Amino acid sequence: MSRYEKLLHMLMDYEPTILLTAISDTSGNILWNTVRDESKVEIPLPEIKKSLVRESGDWITRCKIEDSDDLGRAMYHIASFEKIKQVTIPLDAFHMLMIYVDNIPLKKTKTKSYGRYVQMGKIMSIVDFVNTFEE
Amino acid sequence: MEKYEQLLNMLMDFNSSVRFAAVSDSSGNLLWNSQRDGVSNIVPIEKTKATMSRSRGEWDEAVSSADHMGNGLYSITSYAKIKRITIPLSDGNMLFISVNNKPMKNTKNTSYGHLVEMGEILSIVEFVESQNF
Repeated sequence: MSRYEKLLHMLMDYEPTILLTAISDTSGNILWNTVRDESKVEIPLPEIKKSLVRESGDWITRCKIEDSDDLGRAMYHIASFEKIKQVTIPLDAFHMLMIYVDNIPLKKTKTKSYGRYVQMGKIMSIVDFVNTFEE
Repeated sequence: MEKYEQLLNMLMDFNSSVRFAAVSDSSGNLLWNSQRDGVSNIVPIEKTKATMSRSRGEWDEAVSSADHMGNGLYSITSYAKIKRITIPLSDGNMLFISVNNKPMKNTKNTSYGHLVEMGEILSIVEFVESQNF
């Protein structure tokens, strides 16, 4: 099993709200992916592929900004929608991780909810941990 | 005071880690901005304007996903030193916020920056949008 396949499995094991994970190349082509329960992922594959292509392009720009604007390491991007949070993380110069997290608010919230909290610290820890593996 | 000036002031008052806040129109042009006193720009304003214009474009492209994902609420781009937040506003404008992201010194484990209280920020946005100005 490659290091990045291992990463996808660790993410799925870690967090039940993660619905889908995918790793793409810099052109947005899917190299590996995992899906928790296809019935819960209501986003068609062409839409997922379109998002990967768009986000891959956006990350190339963000990494250029990181270099030119002294903002420090570009770590992650979250796009929060009513039903889904889309998280993207650059893994290395050639690979990007995309995660879809269920964002439908829990029914028991007292005040208005804007979706679920994503534990980015833990997700980033898993990514950094797996990136220490030798292939 | 104009509605979005009020919004920017409330955001600045809400959290001291907010460094810069701005509202742009549907074409990505800067309409209002507010910078915290004593905070120097990491990024020149012209580059921030370009970032806002690009973010606007990202939200415009994301509209095509709304059928499956729901309406867009916000985006966060996290760099080691700052977090950039964008929020599409109901009238087609966009709110842009830059937040300090340097880790606290006394963290035990590796820190990936500050937590942004998006629930409270979105509450402020919703409150201001609901007011008649």
